[in-house]
Amino acid sequence: MEKKERQIRVLLGKPGLCGHDRGVLVLAMALRDAGMEVIYSGRHNSPEQIVEAAIQEDVDILGVSILSGAHVSLCRRIGELLREKEAQDICFVAGGFIPDEDVPELKAMGVREVFGVTSSIEEIIEYFRQTTRNG
Amino acid sequence: MYREDFLEKLKQSEEEWRERNRREIEEAEAKEVSCEDGIPLNLLYTPSGNQIDFFEDIGFPGEFPYTRGFDASGYRKGLWTPSQYAGFGNQRETNQLFKKMIEHGNVPYLALDLPTQNGYDPDHPMALGEVGRAGTPVNSLKDWEIIFDGINVGDIYIGTVANAQAAVILAMHVVSAEKQGAELKNLRGSLQNDILKEYTSRGNYIFPVEPSLRLVTDVIEYCAKNLPSYWPICVCGGHFSEAGSNRIHEVAFALANAFTYIDEVLKRELPIDLFTKGFFFLMKTNHYDFFEEVVKFRAMRKIWAKTLKGRYGATNPESLKLKILAHAGGSLMTKERAELNIARNTIACMAGALGGIQLIGLKTMDEVFGIPAEKAQLTAVGTQHVVAYETGVPDVVDPLGGSYFVETLTKEFENQVLKEMDRIERMGGVVKGIESGYFRRVIAEDAYKSHKDLELGRKVKVGVNKFRVEEEFTLRPYKPDPEEEVRQIEALRELKRSRNNALVEKTLGDLKEMAGRPSSSKNNLVIPIIEAVRAYATMGEICGALRAVFGEYQEPPVL
Repeated sequence: MEKKERQIRVLLGKPGLCGHDRGVLVLAMALRDAGMEVIYSGRHNSPEQIVEAAIQEDVDILGVSILSGAHVSLCRRIGELLREKEAQDICFVAGGFIPDEDVPELKAMGVREVFGVTSSIEEIIEYFRQTTRNG
Repeated sequence: MYREDFLEKLKQSEEEWRERNRREIEEAEAKEVSCEDGIPLNLLYTPSGNQIDFFEDIGFPGEFPYTRGFDASGYRKGLWTPSQYAGFGNQRETNQLFKKMIEHGNVPYLALDLPTQNGYDPDHPMALGEVGRAGTPVNSLKDWEIIFDGINVGDIYIGTVANAQAAVILAMHVVSAEKQGAELKNLRGSLQNDILKEYTSRGNYIFPVEPSLRLVTDVIEYCAKNLPSYWPICVCGGHFSEAGSNRIHEVAFALANAFTYIDEVLKRELPIDLFTKGFFFLMKTNHYDFFEEVVKFRAMRKIWAKTLKGRYGATNPESLKLKILAHAGGSLMTKERAELNIARNTIACMAGALGGIQLIGLKTMDEVFGIPAEKAQLTAVGTQHVVAYETGVPDVVDPLGGSYFVETLTKEFENQVLKEMDRIERMGGVVKGIESGYFRRVIAEDAYKSHKDLELGRKVKVGVNKFRVEEEFTLRPYKPDPEEEVRQIEALRELKRSRNNALVEKTLGDLKEMAGRPSSSKNNLVIPIIEAVRAYATMGEICGALRAVFGEYQEPPVL
């Protein structure tokens, strides 16, 4: 019998005060349809709550969605917390309204990939599969 | 509506037409066409088979059931008002922008930053990174005074996006007007004050549902009694649409919320005609399924008028006439070939105008890039002027009225909305639907469907999944200053040093004490909030006092 691939575990969350979660909900549903296990931690999370939940749930991927413009401050804090808790094995990705010029800064903070309004769901699923395969 | 012999002749002619053009018609009808919400569209509409009653369903403009519009003479009486949503990251810049926009004939619709909307001061940990990003910080009366410095607040209409803390923003408007010597009974402006949609879509809630509904009711009651020209509640459907809902859900959920508020206010034994004239609606006006968008406004007016009259016994025409503000949808704007957003906005504006609505706000071509640049804002206002002054659309009242297609679709849309509202009622009403997660689930499912349609190419977005062109967009959006957060925190500290802190403490104590009492006209919280605002208590302090009494809302899981 063929060995079944381990199910990819993803935590999606909304750090900060931005309440627009259409994108993250659509992504959560699409990831589930693609066979991944998805936990959505909801809105108004603090960076501390999100990192705590990601560690507790032992996820492979932590995805945050921010449309309010607070992405730099919030991702910096989440990156710091992941390092403090030695949880850098969790692949940290971000999406939302993120201007191209902010991407290098986010990557320097520990965000592995940034998805934006022009990213397709296919592309995100493919990235999640690749990144978990490569460990 | 038509004579028997006419219908007989029509039926026969239609059959003959089909026969003569059989192959072409069969090919065209082989592919099923429908609006995004599933209402099927025929190839052709004629008077045959339609169940429209001219007097019941259509009627005359300015009269019941108001399908054809709010005023007998439509836009000849006065054009719709452009109302662009705007607000920069700091109070001074917003003041400059508003002065310029007022010169261009635009009424200010103040965007508040997220800490302000969620009742946090800029130094709160949850405000990290959010200060001045999604709008202007209004941390105290002081900030409001800067934003409207040199603008006569008693003279113009001022809209704001306040919801969970609407009472605090109202208090600022009232106190600043008093200080400028304006007469309160003439004060014009609006709040959103629509907390239910925060739970089901937008997410800027603070308190649990019950005390939040009390605050909404307090604001409506205060305005009904003291500010007769004010619109204390703007029931929003547009946020459902932006969150992904289809158009039927957009309207059904908004109307269901509105009737929930009415039921709450009626518990205070206020006469229906005293307060419902202060209701208005914020919907989307979108370019896709264009005719259904026009129809939406016509059907909404009709459902509102019939319900207000039938269920609530309202008689004043001012209560029966539904006022609608509509914004173009930000989620439909694209980053790819962004200039085409001007075209989308133009069509959206046309839909609103043909729907006979009162206020229109367009999105800007750079919507997807960040807070719009001033040039983009002024282009959006100019786009409205092109529709208003160059097309002739305002010359005739309800110009699409009587179209076989538009009238049939209006009736069908109305039926679908009523069906959904009935479902909500049967599940126990809006609050039950929030607790069970019904609304959030339905909207998320609609959004997922719409997204799949786009990714599979069943729906076209020019520049995105068809007619792609690689190009650079050169207009730079407004760039918030990252130092703004530090400046806002410093200004807050300065305020706390210079005001009478003993008075602030006293007013906050009074507020808490009254919040602890039961919801009633006697314990209307707007009164103590006005006193706290007057003493320059901050948004965070006032909402903090209420948080201490009411607690915070915990959202049930959606997925």
